[in-house]
Amino acid sequence: MAVATEEKPKRRRRQSKLAKGEQRLAYWLLVPTLVVLVAIAFYPLGSVFYSSFTDDTFASDVDTNFVGFQNYSDLLSISFVELDPELDESGQPVIDPETGEPQYESPVEALPREPRRYRNVFTFGLFGNQYVLGATDPDFILSIFDTLIFTVSTIALETIIGLGIALVLNQPFRGRGVMRAAMLVPWAILTAVSSRIWEWMFIDTRAGFFNVVFQNLGLSDGQTPFLADESFQLPAAIIIDVWKTTPFMALLLLAGLALIPDELYEAAEVDGASWWSQFKSVTLPLLKPTLAVALVFRTLDALRVFDLFQIVFAQRKYSMASFAYYELIDSQRLGYSSAASVVIFFIITIFAILYIRSLGLAEDD
Amino acid sequence: MTDVPTDTVAAGTAERIEMRERDFAARRRRKNLLGRIGFWALIVLIAVFLLFPFYWAINSSLKTESQLRMTPATFIPRDPATGDIAITFQNYDAVFQNPTFINAIKNSAIVAVTVTVIALVIGSFAGFALGKLRFRGKTPSLYLILSMTMFPQVAVLTGLYAVILNFDIPAIPSMILSYLLFTLPFTVWVLTSFFQQLPMDLLQSAQVDGATPFQSFRMILLPLTAPALVTTGLLAFIAAVNEYLFALTFTTIEPDARTIPVAIALFTGTVSRQEPFGEIMAAAVLVTVPLIALVLIFQKRIIGGLTAGAVKG
Repeated sequence: MAVATEEKPKRRRRQSKLAKGEQRLAYWLLVPTLVVLVAIAFYPLGSVFYSSFTDDTFASDVDTNFVGFQNYSDLLSISFVELDPELDESGQPVIDPETGEPQYESPVEALPREPRRYRNVFTFGLFGNQYVLGATDPDFILSIFDTLIFTVSTIALETIIGLGIALVLNQPFRGRGVMRAAMLVPWAILTAVSSRIWEWMFIDTRAGFFNVVFQNLGLSDGQTPFLADESFQLPAAIIIDVWKTTPFMALLLLAGLALIPDELYEAAEVDGASWWSQFKSVTLPLLKPTLAVALVFRTLDALRVFDLFQIVFAQRKYSMASFAYYELIDSQRLGYSSAASVVIFFIITIFAILYIRSLGLAEDD
Repeated sequence: MTDVPTDTVAAGTAERIEMRERDFAARRRRKNLLGRIGFWALIVLIAVFLLFPFYWAINSSLKTESQLRMTPATFIPRDPATGDIAITFQNYDAVFQNPTFINAIKNSAIVAVTVTVIALVIGSFAGFALGKLRFRGKTPSLYLILSMTMFPQVAVLTGLYAVILNFDIPAIPSMILSYLLFTLPFTVWVLTSFFQQLPMDLLQSAQVDGATPFQSFRMILLPLTAPALVTTGLLAFIAAVNEYLFALTFTTIEPDARTIPVAIALFTGTVSRQEPFGEIMAAAVLVTVPLIALVLIFQKRIIGGLTAGAVKG
């Protein structure tokens, strides 16, 4: 008895020593990772925050000044102005003889010029009135809009096409292995390489694939400048990205489909459920967790898109990231580019938090 | 499904049921045939969608400058005058003799291999700690790593570039270091889940035998996780080869350090002329074929690795 009671605290001490050793080992094992992350993520992020409040530039001897929120206000100042219809001498609105639309004053005249000049981002009609969105840096504001449109469109298309491909390839058929292998091809091609391949396919003569197709379909004269024409730029970028990343989505969804037990479909079959109701009440709910994770990763990826825009459009069209790059490398405006990076960081963080929140909710269901 | 009834009164009904069943079967077969044609049409459509752009690159890479300028573009390389099939390898010759391109392959190999090795070593330490050891602050560490996998690289671009210019760090070490930003959190995350799945018995019996935690890590866990290391390493390697933003920025003033994506994006060809797309396509095919081969060889592992995180939810 006496021996046993003496033994107990001894063992506990030994165990806690062991646990302490385990804890110490864990910290030592984590040190390298933390050191690396501090050096390449947290410290640079901090310095980006700091320089976003300065007018720092590269390759100049000019002293750096603290400018407060100046960079941010230059980047983000926007102004909505209603455009007045243009009136002739008798006070009647001028109608464009070709389109039959009323004419409006030019955005340049309507937008404020003092103390800072606002330039035209885009004009739009709403409830019969014409408005203009002006910004002190229209390129950045437009890059935010374009990146958001790009993100929403690519994610929607990728999810729909990816789900379709996954459903087809989930059927047993001869050659399924080959098709799965083929799915890895677009994924394995470097983004820079795929951007150049598509750039060549979109080239503005009939030497390019799409101009040949468009001409054969009678849609154009075979000289469409897909990558220079404003109205084709975003659709082209979306197609390129959808091609590259849909297989990834399809692979994830295929793995998710494989986890759904066959019995559920058999039971649905016995109940006489149609394909559509099986899809709606078995496939989709059980695929939801996979779909959610895939959506998070793809969205955060799409928001920081750079390679595609920089290679295919250079400075003809910016994504948020390529805008920050050109401000840094071409304009050498370190402070201004840093402010743009901070804005991008916050936009992406907001998306990440929203997504993770909704994921957490999805798990509670 | 239908038992033949022994009752004679019901015999007529049974016959009728059988007839109706046969009718159904025939209709189903007809529908099946249509369905099968539709199904295979879908398969072909998907295959074309997946493979056509790469086919177009191969097609273009085998054309001469004048064949590339032919309008409309041909789906196989053809002689402009006779229309016969005419293939040329001159673009490939030009690419092989392009010192910038050869140099880029070397740079990419150095950068990607080094990054992968460092990420695996450091990452397996952290993965072991997070997956198998008990310590205070584990949950916050896991959240930190997970959020780092979503970190936007562009956010630290100016900060990193300023440091690199200040300390005069050459482009290649800069790339190696900065690529850990996206390879390391990913590696730690995947390896943590692999370590978690490993059974504890082996580890415990090693402990009973008097092995230190580090010995059990080196002699038991590491060999067991070799497959996981291969998968994670492959994915980290491909991500590193693919990286473009840092590579483009850091090699701005050091063109000799350009990696494959930068070289392809800025490809100028041996003879100075505008956009030599034949050579660009040849270079594209040349860097893609080994990557596709690698991916196909390790197909199962890669799909497993890609889906591991997602499917578990």
